[in-house]
Amino acid sequence: MESRGHILVVDDEPSVLVTYQLILEQQGYRVSAALTSAEARKILSNKDVDLLLCDLSLEKQKSGFDVIAFGRAVDEKLICVLLTGYATTDATDWADERKIPVLFKPIEIKQLLATIEGLLKEKQEIRQGSSR
Amino acid sequence: MATVEMHVRTETLASSERKSNAAFRLMFTERSEEVFPLLIDEIIALGYSRALIAEVDFDRAELTPTVSVNCSKAFLQKHTASLYAMENPAVQALHAREPRIVPSVRKHGAETFLYPIIFRDRNLCREAERMSAPDCLAVANCSSSRKLQQNQQVCGSCDLRAYAAAVVVELPRGHSHASLTPLKRLIEMANHSLSRLMKAEHYFSRMSNMEVTIGQMQTVMESMADPVILTDTQNRVVMQNKAAERFFKLSEDVSEDRVRAVELNNMLFSAALSSMVVSGSDASRDLTLVDAIEGEEVLFEAVSAPSFTRDGRRTGVVTVMRDVTGLRRAGEELRSNYERLAAAEEVVRQDRDRLNLIIENVGDPIIVCDKNAKIVLLDPLAQELFGTEKEARRPPVRLRNQARLDAYITAFTHSFSERESAPLRLVNPENNQEVEYDAHSGKIFNERAQVAYTVTVLRDLTAMRRVEQLKMERRMLEMEKFAAAGRLAGTIAHEVNNPLEAIKNCIFLLQNAVDPQAQPIYGILKSETERVARIVRQMLGLYRNTEQVGQMDVNAVVEDTMILFARQLERAGVRVQMELGALPSSIGSADQLRQVLSNLVVNAKDSMSQGGLLRIRTRLWRDGVRDYIRIMVGDSGCGIPGNLLDSVFEPFVSTKGERGTGLGLWIVKGIIENHGGKLRVRSRASKGTVFKIELPVVR
Repeated sequence: MESRGHILVVDDEPSVLVTYQLILEQQGYRVSAALTSAEARKILSNKDVDLLLCDLSLEKQKSGFDVIAFGRAVDEKLICVLLTGYATTDATDWADERKIPVLFKPIEIKQLLATIEGLLKEKQEIRQGSSR
Repeated sequence: MATVEMHVRTETLASSERKSNAAFRLMFTERSEEVFPLLIDEIIALGYSRALIAEVDFDRAELTPTVSVNCSKAFLQKHTASLYAMENPAVQALHAREPRIVPSVRKHGAETFLYPIIFRDRNLCREAERMSAPDCLAVANCSSSRKLQQNQQVCGSCDLRAYAAAVVVELPRGHSHASLTPLKRLIEMANHSLSRLMKAEHYFSRMSNMEVTIGQMQTVMESMADPVILTDTQNRVVMQNKAAERFFKLSEDVSEDRVRAVELNNMLFSAALSSMVVSGSDASRDLTLVDAIEGEEVLFEAVSAPSFTRDGRRTGVVTVMRDVTGLRRAGEELRSNYERLAAAEEVVRQDRDRLNLIIENVGDPIIVCDKNAKIVLLDPLAQELFGTEKEARRPPVRLRNQARLDAYITAFTHSFSERESAPLRLVNPENNQEVEYDAHSGKIFNERAQVAYTVTVLRDLTAMRRVEQLKMERRMLEMEKFAAAGRLAGTIAHEVNNPLEAIKNCIFLLQNAVDPQAQPIYGILKSETERVARIVRQMLGLYRNTEQVGQMDVNAVVEDTMILFARQLERAGVRVQMELGALPSSIGSADQLRQVLSNLVVNAKDSMSQGGLLRIRTRLWRDGVRDYIRIMVGDSGCGIPGNLLDSVFEPFVSTKGERGTGLGLWIVKGIIENHGGKLRVRSRASKGTVFKIELPVVR
């Protein structure tokens, strides 16, 4: 089965990270998982990530904002989705500014999959449009 | 009485014939004034050559000749004298009541015979006899030998005025005393006749006077508007005036009613009269009679007085009746007016007492000032603050207070506003601490719409401020508690969130790997986990929104929320009716309000599984003190069961069973109360539910 895209999942909670990875892989995506922001940066540097799924609160005061910012710095058209348990308005405003969807935990898996699918499809269409 | 004019007779008759006729002529004389001329005639007829009669005028106390024969002017003059001229022989004779012979002053002159004539009799007159009066003038003159006194010459019994005169006859020379006897007899006879005539004439004139008096009295009686009735000793009506006839007399053309009325009146009158006579000599009593003509009842006050003759014999009773119907009515009216007045006075007094009581119990200082902002009245509390002008040395604190009050009241008195309230800082004279008062003032206008008085009530705001402070503190505490609870919930939820996320993901991953036998267990695992997820989501939402307070436009929040739910509601078959009134912006959390509305709208949608009508209304409402925003959210759904209605705002109470968390309305209530508002619910099973929110406008 051909991969539907490369997704990087970042979460500091191993069980959550593993289960997201498994679910997404089950859906046919190529999934990379990062427990820390440093790991995430390493993977992002390879520039083959289609979509970044990042938790807001990471280990030791590290924030999902940093990871997203890094990803965008590497690839300015990188598709990002911010996951969070709770969000201040500052956080949601920050995400709105960058047109990054925010999903609040507990996340409905169907909603998560629909969002990812929609975003990737959009990207593919743009790419196809531009390549034509 | 004889006329003043002098009668002069000169003819002489045969003496023999005269002698026999003289007595008859004098006896049959009908008029008193004819007696003296007749007497003179008879004296001349007796053979005397010269004679005169001088009469006494008691008014002038003079003796004047009125009838004379053959008298010279000098002779007449001689017998003209004052009654006090005691040297005059005629006057002497009169006072002495004795005849006398006066010798001539000349040597061979003729003597004159003087005979006094005076009204006298040995027997009492009839009048004196009837009245058994001891003093009849005639008898008195007969017995007394006192000097003639003009004032004594009126009879005490019959008012007769006496007469007196002196007969003067010139005696021939060489006459004897015996020859005087016929002359004396003649004069006595004339006097006798004269006295009878005088008496008769006196009685006649008295009778005619009486007739005049009676006529006058009758006129008086008839012209009286009040009934006057004269009754005899048997209470029979002797006389009555026209006014009385109206009640007591029957005229020719009488109806039966009138006869009855008159009979009744007569009966009543004689009964009253009898009782009056028995009760006393002079009595008055009330008597109600029927007007025989008008048929009306008339109230009389009857005054009766018995009438007596001069000798004290009772002849009857005179009754005068006064119509007091009007008087009585006026009296009654007066009394009722007085009573009404007294009652009104009582009401006024009670009002005043009540007002005083109110003023005494207001518990706030009250100041009444006149149009010049001068204090006219202070209640005891105000006196504490300002003292009175009577106080000799007012402490400076009170003077300062008064200065501040004066400034305020003067400004208010000359302002255009009818009432005003303003803060006024005064110093409590007891502890010298400044107190903040709220001065409420009003104007009292006179009839020309000019300010007559101002009334000011000072309200001590200290206690109110303290209560407000306490309330505020309590609310802050509540908010703090709510926020803390929210934070705690958030923390817990966050801690639960990640494991829950992993569990949820695992359940999803296992969905195709479960043994068919274990499928029901897997189902429970899945649904219960979803429920936990919902609870956590709610709690996180609560925490998420405890910040961000600012200006909010309630209508905009409502509209946003409705746009958000428009599609969901449409799919559920719910029609939406919005009615948004003009509202001021108010300080609050728009996010929290959105959460409130979202919760209520979702609840409404869930209650209308068959579709229905959702009504949302906003409105501004004023209670005179504050402005409130009222939000109403009503549905036509299944309603809240009665047993849950009381506890619907408590946490973990839900009508939705598995689908609800039981936290929604608890959070709604918390948010509304945080905003100082109120939340109320009314619901009827299968009719619908209405939530009403009342938020105070905070600017």
